[in-house]
Amino acid sequence: MIEILQQIVNGVAIGGVYVLIALGLTTVFGILGIAHFAHGSVSMFGGYLTFFMVTAWGFPLLLAILIALIVGFLLGMLIELLAYRPVRNANHINAFIVALGLTMMVEGLNLQFFGHEQVVIPTNLARVFDIGGVTIPELRLYVIIAAALLIIAMTLFVEKTKTGQAIRAVAENRDAAILMGVNVKTIPLVVFAISTALGVCAGVMVGSLFAIAPGIGEWLVVKGFAVLILGGLGSIPGAIVGGLVLGVTEALAAGFISSAYKDVIAFVVMIAVLLLRPQGLMGKA
Amino acid sequence: MLKIEDLKVGYGSIEVIHGINLEVRTGECVALIGANGAGKSSTLKAICGLVPVKSGKVTFEGRDITNLSGHAVVQAGITMCPEGRQVFPQMSTIKNLRMGAYTRRDAEQEADLDRMMDMFPILRDRAHQAAGTLSGGEQEMLAIARALMARPKLCIFDEPSLGLAPKIVAEVAATIARIKDMGKTILLVEQNSLMALRLADRAYLFEAGEIVLSGTGEELQSHPEVVKAYLGH
Ligand SMILES: Nc1ncnc2c1ncn2[C@@H]1O[C@H](COP(=O)(O)OP(=O)(O)OP(=O)(O)O)[C@@H](O)[C@H]1O
Ligand SMILES: [Mg+2]
Repeated sequence: MIEILQQIVNGVAIGGVYVLIALGLTTVFGILGIAHFAHGSVSMFGGYLTFFMVTAWGFPLLLAILIALIVGFLLGMLIELLAYRPVRNANHINAFIVALGLTMMVEGLNLQFFGHEQVVIPTNLARVFDIGGVTIPELRLYVIIAAALLIIAMTLFVEKTKTGQAIRAVAENRDAAILMGVNVKTIPLVVFAISTALGVCAGVMVGSLFAIAPGIGEWLVVKGFAVLILGGLGSIPGAIVGGLVLGVTEALAAGFISSAYKDVIAFVVMIAVLLLRPQGLMGKA
Repeated sequence: MLKIEDLKVGYGSIEVIHGINLEVRTGECVALIGANGAGKSSTLKAICGLVPVKSGKVTFEGRDITNLSGHAVVQAGITMCPEGRQVFPQMSTIKNLRMGAYTRRDAEQEADLDRMMDMFPILRDRAHQAAGTLSGGEQEMLAIARALMARPKLCIFDEPSLGLAPKIVAEVAATIARIKDMGKTILLVEQNSLMALRLADRAYLFEAGEIVLSGTGEELQSHPEVVKAYLGH
């Protein structure tokens, strides 16, 4: 029993990272209908940047994260403006190719700036908590708390603010949103800014919990899309539930079956869910 | 209040509105009638910034609003209740209504929300239901109420009676009459020509992208061509 709880806690930590990635992917998909493949690599750029500020410039970790977040915010807007906006009214295949090209470009930039060695963001959080037999390293606990706060903040933003509701409105009916007075040119900017900032948070979490290396961004974006399909395309609750389900399933598979097969098992679970609910866990039929 | 001069609208290279002139004065209810495909919706969409104007001029309260972005048209005080209702299907009724007030920053939005639900009691019953699950008639009431939530100076309705049972059509007509009594200026497009002409102070008849006839509601109701082609008796 303790062992199961232990694996669930581990799974929630990585699941939280998946949720942060998937939230960005799902809101972008919702309003623009595009698969933003570069999201993982851009998120890892945020992780690398944080690592660099801490190790090369000696910035305190929290300050480095804050700066990386702001950079992510601006970078997101830039991506929307320069990469996706020009193909907004073109065939969907164009946006698809832009997304692939952008992924390669950002991966290349990461390699140029930060090299091919794997890096770990130093946190100096070495304590380990023991809660009723379940051990939680300090860092993992903070990651879970931070992810939870970000997810709650994002949900409140979407549900309780006018801008958040406008994002939903554009996703549900673009023309009707215009008739409500929504500026459909600025909404994608907001969405990319927030999504990328959330992605940077995920990148920092991956970089401090595990490591950042070339290819990790692609691994993460594949997981993110798996979550989207699992939870329901374009659905925010779906991204939250789907991310946690995927994270916990992987952790349980790794803990009780084999860590080599955890990805296989996770995808089997995903396929099983889709056989029962083709629209995803939270998707509308 | 609204003035359209020599308006031409097209999709791609195909022109569908070939230079029309019309006017809506403050406090008036003006109807546009005509057969399917005559270009009524295209005219409304051009006013609201949903499709580009090819040439001509749209003036609202003395201000040139030709080819203004859609959101800026709403800020200027024009709200459209579109053809086919176009509610946000997964949002609740109440959230749809709040979206109607998107451009407002004043403190009376919640009071207006209450007023709308007094005006349309069915919306209060369905407040937390997803709008996509409402019946057609309920969705129409929601779309009308949502448009009013913006407190527009000019309210445009595109075929509010489309696909509704006769009893509900009468209800929609009564609602529009009430909105008119509230002092709103109305531009109404209707397939149900009789209903439109009864509500309207003035009306324009569209045929193939041109205005072929105009006059008061009564005049058009008794005009032989209108009677023959659109009122069917
Ligand atoms: N998105 C579009 N692309 C190309 N042509 C269009 C488009 N929308 C409308 N049209 C064409 O423009 C013309 C006018 O259509 P419009 O919808 O304005 O007519 P309407 O008078 O509103 O008709 P209805 O009473 O059936 O709603 C039609 O010939 C139609 O085929
Ligand atoms: Mg029409």
